[in-house]
Amino acid sequence: MTNQKEKIGNGLCHVYLIILSVIAFFPLVWVLLCSVKSSGELTANPTRFLPKHFTLENFTHVIQDLGFAGNISNSLIIAISTTCIAIVVSSMAAYGIVRFFPKLGSIMSKVLVATYMFPPILLAIPYSMVMAKLGFVNTRVGLVIVYLSFSVPYAVWMLVGFFKTVPLGIEEAARVDGANKLQTFVRIVLPLVMPGIVATAIYTFINAWNEFLYSLILINSTDKMTVSVALKSLQGSEILNWGDMMAASALVVVPSVIFFMFIQNKIAGGMTDGAVK
Amino acid sequence: MKRKVKFDYARWIFVLPALLVVGILLVYPIFSSLYYSMTTKHLIKASYDFIGLENYKAVLSDSNFYKAFLTSILWTVGSLLGQLFIGFTAALAINRVKIGKGIYRTLMIIPWAFPSIVIALSWKWILNGVSGFLPNILVQLGISSELPQFLSDSSLVFLTLIFINVWFGAPMIMVNVLSALQTIPQDQYEAAQIDGASKFQQFWHITVPHIKVVVGLLVVLRTIWVFNNFDIIYLLTGGGPANATTTVPVYAYNMGWGTKLLGRSSAVTVLLLAFLLLVCLVYFTIIGKWEKEDK
Amino acid sequence: MRRKLAVLLVGTMIGSAMLAGCGQNGNTESKQTAAETGELKGDITFWHSFTQGPRLEVIQETADQFMKDNPDVNITIETFSWGDFYTKWTTGLASGNVPDMSTALPGHVVEMMDAEALVPLDDLIDDIGRDKFSKTALSEGEKDGTCYSLPLYSHAQVMWYRKDLLDAAGLEVPKTWDEFADAAKTLTKDGVYGCSFPCGSNDLMGTRFLNFYVRSGGGSLLTDDLKADLTSDLALDGIRYWLDIYENCSPKDSVNYAVLDQATLFYQGKTAFDFNSGFQIGGVETNSPDLVDQIDCAPLPKINADDPEYGAETSNIPMVVWENSEHPEICKEFIKKLYEKDTYIKFLEATPVGMLPSITGISDTPEYKENETVQKFSNAVDVITKTMDMGTAIGFEKGPSVQAGLLTSQGIIESMFQDIITNGTDVEKAAQTAEDKLNEVFSTVQ
Repeated sequence: MTNQKEKIGNGLCHVYLIILSVIAFFPLVWVLLCSVKSSGELTANPTRFLPKHFTLENFTHVIQDLGFAGNISNSLIIAISTTCIAIVVSSMAAYGIVRFFPKLGSIMSKVLVATYMFPPILLAIPYSMVMAKLGFVNTRVGLVIVYLSFSVPYAVWMLVGFFKTVPLGIEEAARVDGANKLQTFVRIVLPLVMPGIVATAIYTFINAWNEFLYSLILINSTDKMTVSVALKSLQGSEILNWGDMMAASALVVVPSVIFFMFIQNKIAGGMTDGAVK
Repeated sequence: MKRKVKFDYARWIFVLPALLVVGILLVYPIFSSLYYSMTTKHLIKASYDFIGLENYKAVLSDSNFYKAFLTSILWTVGSLLGQLFIGFTAALAINRVKIGKGIYRTLMIIPWAFPSIVIALSWKWILNGVSGFLPNILVQLGISSELPQFLSDSSLVFLTLIFINVWFGAPMIMVNVLSALQTIPQDQYEAAQIDGASKFQQFWHITVPHIKVVVGLLVVLRTIWVFNNFDIIYLLTGGGPANATTTVPVYAYNMGWGTKLLGRSSAVTVLLLAFLLLVCLVYFTIIGKWEKEDK
Repeated sequence: MRRKLAVLLVGTMIGSAMLAGCGQNGNTESKQTAAETGELKGDITFWHSFTQGPRLEVIQETADQFMKDNPDVNITIETFSWGDFYTKWTTGLASGNVPDMSTALPGHVVEMMDAEALVPLDDLIDDIGRDKFSKTALSEGEKDGTCYSLPLYSHAQVMWYRKDLLDAAGLEVPKTWDEFADAAKTLTKDGVYGCSFPCGSNDLMGTRFLNFYVRSGGGSLLTDDLKADLTSDLALDGIRYWLDIYENCSPKDSVNYAVLDQATLFYQGKTAFDFNSGFQIGGVETNSPDLVDQIDCAPLPKINADDPEYGAETSNIPMVVWENSEHPEICKEFIKKLYEKDTYIKFLEATPVGMLPSITGISDTPEYKENETVQKFSNAVDVITKTMDMGTAIGFEKGPSVQAGLLTSQGIIESMFQDIITNGTDVEKAAQTAEDKLNEVFSTVQ
């Protein structure tokens, strides 16, 4: 009896999960299918799945004529730089807060979460003025600096939780052996929280890679644009070509999806694990 | 040991870079925004005057601001409930089934990998009112007699946006809840079963207490994110039709870049920030209580 | 484990090194100015909105040639769609990050002049020949007797139609708005829409269409003292007219359409009528080559058949030089180059009939006339040229004004249409609300 019930329950779960999976991955499939159709076919047969004539012309157009590969490399450079700098700065800060400022720590964490609340729109104009003053207007450096402003607080907040899990005893043992603070940090503590650092790095990377508003406002040169803005400008170009837009979308989203599939075990829980512990 | 050192430079070196980043890049812009919100600052004109709280008065007496505020609340609450419900049930279902766990999780995580511009482009194309897949298939299947206008029909557009946001946000909830579920010791369930507790009782007395702090934090982070989110709405509908989807960030953007009243736009965002701080204060008090209960 | 950290650190360093490199070649502005000898030296940035295709190439070729002739000059070209361009220069002005020279829209120029962001161009205009330009076109960039912009090319909005569809239904080309509505309704069948009525709030299309109707009745969307006027009988009739077209002949999605969504439908043969300039030809050619022989244009419909001829919306696409520029002299020299006969004809030929000359002495040259498209669509050239001479930019019939620019840039009229369509708001009430809102926005610039 209970077994029967269990089976039905399991069956229902599968049905539910299959429906959700189809909804979740349909847009990706549709983007891919549309990216290899000619623009005539796109509008003539809106519900046809497989392309009548398989074509790669959308891709060649997007890559060769519109220089989309350059935009992808811009986004990569910016996201990777942001991630690396943010992780170094934040893991030091998180460790510092946990180990040397235990009382201030809880206040600091709250302040950090509060910074996450600032509406990006609020900061857009002040940022463009600060960048102008620093001479970083319309540069990738400028964009990285701006991205740091929201990635560092978030990363510190995530990392504080992970550093709290490191027992003080291990460090003291190292200290007795004559290691200074930095050596202890690098040799003893960092390896212990590596999984947390990886999770944080992934989150930082994703946020930087997906960012739209600031790169729209701060970057003016086509050759420095990130993929998000380059994609947006496709929408406003002189001919509305959905084939191009789908091909460009596929170029952006396929690597992301593959990346996600590989790292999914690492991000599981990463967002809140640290903060909870 | 620490007391022996009079002034410990090393410990400051650890936190200094982060303090600098936060200080320069957040404190300055926020104070300048606060200041602008009390001036007639215009986006493209050099001169401006200090006018005290006039901008706040103007914003708070604009009926469109309240409308945008209400839209923001509905958008946040609707998206969050949807994301939590789908994310939560999906996590429970995956936790329960024995085969295909990995496949389901991998497929369902896909939306998370979509940058907002790709979310906008792909859904705009799928829902396109003339050549979109979904409207056309609905007509072909006889479900609808004419092409449904998901992004321009005022009775559909808001639900469509929430659906897309749930589609995008649920995977994140699912992944986090799933990992929290896996930390619950299995023997607690076994013990409860022996005591004759029903499935629901097990869920309520074992599952919920174990994951409520995680879920609580997720709710805080998602609330902030959804409330502040500008890209998805701006790129999908631009706040239209007829302001039906104008949230506070979109309203602030239009104020700053459309009307170019930067001062007033700053006032809007400052109000937005104040509201978020208030909401999060409430959230944190609740979560703090939960954490104490746990200990 | 240490290795991981090392990798991380090296990564950081590489990252910052890459960035530093990018930063250096990013915004280097040389401080040299033109020597007394007249030799040009320096870097300029040129923003334009010809995002794709032959126009982009012609501009780039001209710049390359210019740099070859002036080895000390470097011209950096950036392209933005019109919509992004507006965000870019407004934000740019706020942070001091604007180009040296750019294209613009007439409505933008008034705002730019108002913000004192432009350099006077009278010397350049005199150099090219002031009498070659149309007076109205020059006046669009004039403030207190000084010209701040000059038109690069011109076009006007006319009515486009599908000959095959009209023939099949046994219809004449409509001359009045009533005939137009009847024809559009008749042709709405078999997956073709009679005419799409676009009113997406990110574009000026709703204002454009309403302006056609109001201008055809001799009215204006602005009063003489530059207030918005949406509640005149003529304007209300116009609003109701387009609502009727929307209800009966338009895809319902058009409530969110911007200019491209609208034009694309015609390019793909999904609409029978559309309103646009000669750009329609190039669009149809790329999207549906078979249909090129089936399209033509005619003057805009009138209210009564015996009303006088009129032109509703003429666009003279201007070029401006920015006050922030350190090398206005290079910009001016380069602009002059663009107006040289050969270059200019090559530029116009990039979108034949779409871009019509803004200076005299071009349209009657054999080089210009021998273009295939110009010959094939000679009727369209005539119709557009004639309409062009009678029209102005939207709202400019009361003289160039910031108000006219705001009329089109705020999406208020579009939101009004959306409000009526989606919420069923009463037309007069919606028009009054929109009028008040426009006047409120107008008051912010005084």
